[in-house]
Amino acid sequence: MHERPRHWHQWFLIMAAFAAIAILLVMPLALIFTEAFSQGWAMVQQNLTNPDMLGAIKLTLIVTLITVPVNLLFGILLAWCVTRYEFRGRKLLSTLIDIPFAMSPVVAGLCYLVVYGAQSVVGNWFSGMGVQLMFALPGMVMVTVFVTCPYVARVLIPLMESQGQHEEEAAIILGASGWQAFLYVTLPKIRWALLYGVVLTNARAVGEFGAVSVVSGLIRGQTLTLPLLVQMWNQDYNTVGAFTAAGLLAAMALVTLLLKTVLEWATQHSSDNATEQKTEQDTP
Amino acid sequence: MSIRVEQIQKRFGDFTALDDINLDVQEGQLVGLLGPSGSGKTTLLRIIAGLEKADQGKVLFHGKDVTDLDVRKRKVGFVFQQYALFRHLTVADNVAFGLRMLPRKERPARSAIRQRVHELLDLVQLGHLAGRYPAQLSGGQKQRVALARALALKPDVLLLDEPFGALDAKVRKELRRWLRHLHEQISVTSIFVTHDQEEAMEVSDQVVVMSQGRIEQMASPLTIYEQPASRFVFDFLGHINALKGHYDGRRWQAGNAQLRLTTEGACPNGELTLYLRPHEADLSKTPSDSANLPVKLGARSVFGGTVTLELEALGWPAEVMEVELSRDAWQALDAQPGDTLFVHPRQLQTVTCDGNLGPRVTPA
Repeated sequence: MHERPRHWHQWFLIMAAFAAIAILLVMPLALIFTEAFSQGWAMVQQNLTNPDMLGAIKLTLIVTLITVPVNLLFGILLAWCVTRYEFRGRKLLSTLIDIPFAMSPVVAGLCYLVVYGAQSVVGNWFSGMGVQLMFALPGMVMVTVFVTCPYVARVLIPLMESQGQHEEEAAIILGASGWQAFLYVTLPKIRWALLYGVVLTNARAVGEFGAVSVVSGLIRGQTLTLPLLVQMWNQDYNTVGAFTAAGLLAAMALVTLLLKTVLEWATQHSSDNATEQKTEQDTP
Repeated sequence: MSIRVEQIQKRFGDFTALDDINLDVQEGQLVGLLGPSGSGKTTLLRIIAGLEKADQGKVLFHGKDVTDLDVRKRKVGFVFQQYALFRHLTVADNVAFGLRMLPRKERPARSAIRQRVHELLDLVQLGHLAGRYPAQLSGGQKQRVALARALALKPDVLLLDEPFGALDAKVRKELRRWLRHLHEQISVTSIFVTHDQEEAMEVSDQVVVMSQGRIEQMASPLTIYEQPASRFVFDFLGHINALKGHYDGRRWQAGNAQLRLTTEGACPNGELTLYLRPHEADLSKTPSDSANLPVKLGARSVFGGTVTLELEALGWPAEVMEVELSRDAWQALDAQPGDTLFVHPRQLQTVTCDGNLGPRVTPA
C-alpha cells in the first residue's frame, strides 16, 4: 500500500505537483469561463444563438454521433479478432491499431486529402457519383473515425485477454449461438470498459482539430465544427465568442472527466469481484 | 451413452499433443484421465466435447460418429477448472442459462425452468444460495453450481476438466466423494481430467493414464496399481525408491548393500534397477540373510496412521529413500534419528535392461 509522506522533500514534491496542475490546467480552464463571461450573460447568450455557433454545434454533434457507433462496432470486432483467434499477423494487427495514436492528426488529414480528394481516383469516382468527400461532412467524419478508432479496442483488448473465454465456451456448450454468447455473456462482462471506451472516443471526436481542419476546407456556416469555430473566431478578434465556444468544449471535457472517473471506478469494482473469486477462502 | 475415441491425432505447431489415441468408455462409467501436465488429457477432453478439433481420428457417442457434429448438438455437459460461471448472473440464472438458450419451440415454460433449476440446486445442495452471485460463493460452492449448470440440459455425457484443481485439499476430498456419490445417483457417462493420482484412484471406475500424448494404460484403479503396464505408470502412481545395482544371477549388489533374489531381465553386464514402493518394506535393527540394506534414519513425519521415514543409504549409492510404516510398527521399532537401520523389502519391481517393467520379486 501507499505510505504517507514523512520528509519535507516528499511534501515539496506533492506541493510542486499541485502547483503545476494549478498553473497549467486549472487556471487556463478558469480563464476560459471568465473570458467567455467577461462581457456579461447577454453577450454569452448572443454568441450561443449565433447561426455560426448553432451550425458548429450541430455539425460537431453529427460527426460525433456517426463516429462513436462506427468505432464502437469497429473496436469490438477488432478486440474480438485479436483476443479470440490465433492467426498469422495477430501481433501486427494489434500494433497497427495504434497508428492513429502515433501519427499527427494533421498528417492523417493530409493523407485523406491525397487519397480521397477530387484529384484522386477514389475521390474522382465518388464525385462522379455526385458525392463530395473532401471539404464536406463525409471527409470530416472519415478523419474523425480514423483519429479515434483505437480507443475502444485499446480499452477492450487487455480486459478481454485477462478474462479469457471459458465463459463463452461454457455458453456455447449450453447451446448458445455465437451471437447469444456475445449478447448474454461477453457484453455484460465488458460493458463498463465498453462505456469507458465510448466516453474517450466521444471526447476525442468532439475535440478533434488537426485532421478535421485539413479536410474541412473551413467553409463558414458549412464545415466548421466547434474547435474550428474557436480558431476562426479567435482570428476574427471575436475573443468573447471564441471563448464561449471554448467554454462549451471545456464543459463537455469536464462532463467527460466525471463520466470517466465513474466508469473507471465501475470497471475496477467489477474486476475486484473477479479477483475476489480467486483469493477467497474455499469452504464447501 | 458409451464413448469411443478412434485414432485421434492432434498437433499444435510442432508439438504433438495427442498421438493415436484409442479409448472406449462404457455407458454409465466414471472414467479418470490421469497424467502430468502436458500429457494431452485436457486436449483429449476438449476434443470429445467438441471444443477442439482433432487433426485425424473419430469420436463416437453410442456408436454414432460425432466427429463433425457441432458442440451445441453433442449433448455434453462440461465443467471447467476455473468454474467459468457467468459472473453477472445469479446462481439460479447460471443454472437456467442452457434452458433459456433453447429454441422457442423446445424451451420449457418459465415455471418449468424454475422448477428444474430448483431440483438441480437441491441435487448439488445449494438451494439456499439461488439468489447469490458467483463472486459471493466459495470455490467448492462455485464448482457445484457449475456442475448443476452442466446437468441442466440432461447431457448424455458429462466432461469435467480438473474439476477440483483450484480447491484446497480438504474441500477437494469432500467434493470428490460427493461427486462419486452423485454419479451413483444420476449415472451419466462421465470423464474427468486430473493430475492427482489419489483423486483418480478414489473416484474412477476406470483410470486412463496418459503421458506425452499417449495412453499408457487403461484399467480399473486396482489393476493399475497392482499390474502397472509400464514403468511410467508405476512411476507416476505415488513415490518410488529406485535402487541401482548389479545382479549376478543370485545376488543383487550395490556397494555393501545386497539382496538375495531370483529374477531375469538384468542387462548383459549385470546392471539391474529395482523399484521399491515406500509401503512395501519393513525396517529392523539387524540385517537378514536375504536382505542387507543399511540406512541411517533421517527426518520422519507423522500423518494419520502412517509414519513416513527418510532414510539415507549407508555405504552404498542410492538417493534418500522413503519408507512408510504403520504407527504401531514405528513404535515397536523404537529408533531415533541417526540410528542405523536395515530395510527389508517385501516386494520389489524389477526394471529390465530395455527400460520396461520386469517381474516382481521378493528377496528370499
